[in-house]
Amino acid sequence: MNAGGRILRADKLGKWYGNVLGLSDVSIEIGPGIAGLLGPNGAGKSTFMKLITGQLRPSIGTVTIAGQAVWNNPGLFRNIGFCPEQDAFYEETTGREFLSGLLSLSGFSTAEVKERAARALEFVELAADADRLIRGYSRGMRQRLKIAQAVAHEPEILILDEPLNGLDPLSKRKVIRLIKEYRTEGRTVLVSSHVLPEIEALTKSIVLVHQGKILAQGDIHYIRDLIDAHPHVVAVKTDDVRALAAIFVGQPDVLSLRFDESEGLVVFETRNRDRLFERLMKVASGDRPAVEEITSPDDNLQSVFDYLIGK
Amino acid sequence: MKLSPFLSVFRFSARLVRRSRRARLLAAVSLLPVVLAIALQITRAAVPGRPLEGLDVFSNVVMGFSLQFLVLLLSLFFGTSIVADEVDNKTLTYPATRPVSRATFILGKYAAAVSFLLVLVLASTILSFLILMIDRLSYGTAWAFLGRSLAALSFATVCYTALFTMAGTFLRKSILFGLVFCFGWENVVQYFPGTTQKFTIMHYLKSLLPGLQAGAGGTDNAGMLKFLLFRHEPTSVPVAVLTLVILTAAFLALACFLFSRKEYLFDE
Amino acid sequence: MAIAERGYTHWTGTLGTGRRPWRVIAGQAVRLAWKRKFFKPIFFFSLLPALVFSAGIYVSERIQDFQEMLKGADKFLKINPEYFQAYYGSNFLFFMMLIIMVGSGAGLIADDLRHNALPLYFSRPLRKRDYIGGKFAALAFFLLLLTLAPGILFLFLKLIFSGSFAFLADYPWLPFSFIGWSVFLSSFFSLYTLLLSSLGRNRRFASILILGAYFVSDVVFAILFGIFRDPAFTLFSLQMNMRQASAVFLGVKPPQHVSGFYSILILAAIMAVALLVLRKKIRGTEVIR
Repeated sequence: MNAGGRILRADKLGKWYGNVLGLSDVSIEIGPGIAGLLGPNGAGKSTFMKLITGQLRPSIGTVTIAGQAVWNNPGLFRNIGFCPEQDAFYEETTGREFLSGLLSLSGFSTAEVKERAARALEFVELAADADRLIRGYSRGMRQRLKIAQAVAHEPEILILDEPLNGLDPLSKRKVIRLIKEYRTEGRTVLVSSHVLPEIEALTKSIVLVHQGKILAQGDIHYIRDLIDAHPHVVAVKTDDVRALAAIFVGQPDVLSLRFDESEGLVVFETRNRDRLFERLMKVASGDRPAVEEITSPDDNLQSVFDYLIGK
Repeated sequence: MKLSPFLSVFRFSARLVRRSRRARLLAAVSLLPVVLAIALQITRAAVPGRPLEGLDVFSNVVMGFSLQFLVLLLSLFFGTSIVADEVDNKTLTYPATRPVSRATFILGKYAAAVSFLLVLVLASTILSFLILMIDRLSYGTAWAFLGRSLAALSFATVCYTALFTMAGTFLRKSILFGLVFCFGWENVVQYFPGTTQKFTIMHYLKSLLPGLQAGAGGTDNAGMLKFLLFRHEPTSVPVAVLTLVILTAAFLALACFLFSRKEYLFDE
Repeated sequence: MAIAERGYTHWTGTLGTGRRPWRVIAGQAVRLAWKRKFFKPIFFFSLLPALVFSAGIYVSERIQDFQEMLKGADKFLKINPEYFQAYYGSNFLFFMMLIIMVGSGAGLIADDLRHNALPLYFSRPLRKRDYIGGKFAALAFFLLLLTLAPGILFLFLKLIFSGSFAFLADYPWLPFSFIGWSVFLSSFFSLYTLLLSSLGRNRRFASILILGAYFVSDVVFAILFGIFRDPAFTLFSLQMNMRQASAVFLGVKPPQHVSGFYSILILAAIMAVALLVLRKKIRGTEVIR
């Protein structure tokens, strides 16, 4: 499949549930690589996921994959794998039977079904439990099985709806590793989550959703820089907070600063973070005051999100 | 060799149906005619001279029970479950995100359900027949009777399951609809005189049964069971078969159409 | 001042006295049933026979006023235990009670099993009897509204319209019969429904079982009675057993020539089996093999 075939595109997409707005005026394009779709519960992430996987019909606008409309187009799913959010299985089947049954729906021959199922189970480290009934699986195993059914037919586009829900930290690391392994060779992976650090661990390319609307899309640092309304926060650990504060208090691009002598911390707010860093490096290269640590506490997804939703 | 999607759905669904506990329980219910047949034969043997004709008992008791009750109940449960189970269990996402059209999916599941039901119903009927006719198996007419009875039951299974499959695609309370239809409409209107009874599926099914013409068949002992034949004004067999085939096709076509276009929202 | 953020903390005080957790469960089940779209019309439709019989009591005291309309019908308006048995033993009443059980009771335990709610229930200070009692009470509430409430109304109307206590003097056991039969019938239907609801995790399957078992028993009776003409086969049919039992409670002749006490025994046995099965099925942990 060429790169064009791996593009998810939504154009003025909207979805209503009766009078309740699920998604409004969403226009985005997601190409090869991992993209994180994030927002709080009820933001519209699952609605978007269901629209791009053809489970819901758009109220207005279009959603296409490889240039084709998704709704009522089962042929597209040869190259799409979807891991749903809900914990639902055919409980009376084994993991292997579950995978094999779904693989056979994709049109593979019996031999291929067997081979692909084995490979997928190996990929998610479920080979040892493949012949146990799903009703006996733990939460982590069930989540991995969901991922297995999404990747078993090696789709070019992988869509994962809250894949880390309910997992313990060890399982989360395993799944994150699996997702990162999968994005090789130019595949498109879209992962949704409401837990921002999880998305940060996976990708820098994000789509922020809130109350049915897209707040921002792109590289997280780039988005952060674009938020001109909110100054950047830079925290500096030093042995002489007053001396450091005195150096910067007169600078025009420093909007405000505060210091805490007990913690040895000076916190700057600036609209020109690069200029501030330049000056800090000059101070750090000198003897006094000693600069021990420089951090940007708000250069993360949570802060970006909070700024965008107006917190 | 690549399996066609329909066959894949059929095989997967058949496995799920066979494995479910509910199916096993309902399979036990389908053996009720066999139990009755055994009980009647034992009673007959214990009290010799009781004038109970095996074919009369089969036609009125077994067929009456199977056609008027068992097939309806089984078709109702399995037919409505085709879509309802996938929605209730939230597993519809999986087949919906495979390269299989929804119409193929629902037809494959329907075929699996009908196959299972046919095995249950026909096996139970054949066993009952063999038990009741154990001393008359050389009678050719009896076998012909069995053949047509099995045909009627097969059509009943196929047609009712198609109807309830269709109902299950768009009605949330499809069971309620099914119960009202079976025990309300079908059980009452089939006894209406004139053309009205032709508005029931049961009318055409009863028209396929040999020897079950109004007022004919049955012995005095089966007097209370002649309700099956009461006021039945049979349609000719070819017309009955054609009507049942058309109805089945229409129900399935509507089911495919509705299932392909409906959005299913899971309860969160 | 240090601010301590606290999540869940274990209650170290004493629990309140006079706790009745079953009432909470019952109340919630009643409210949920009442909220269902078709439940209200079905319930009020089930009260129709009670209205008709109540009107009958009124008409019986005013026969002369309705003479023209009721030519020949006055013998059916003789208010005696047979009159009330016609209500309490009617197939329509049983059928509507069954429909109400399907509407309000099919998912009572099945839904809890499906959503794995039993561990949640039993992580509270709740005993099995509280859980079963609560579910039972929810169903019995609706059934008593169809049985005991009309019975009280019938007696009240009879006393009011006749203007004397002569009726009670003639049939002093009748109020106790109404109470006894209402409680017995409601208990039977409630336990029967809970038993079948506990057999699976699927409400639809439970609905089919509730109706199927009822009708299968009747069909078996019809077949066997039709062939052998032996009234003993009455005991196969739930419906016939209930009619027989209602006759015993109301002190009238049972419709079939077989003792109504056997029917009471059979219905009581079903209730006992239901309790045994429920005790086994309702547990806080699920064993997965």
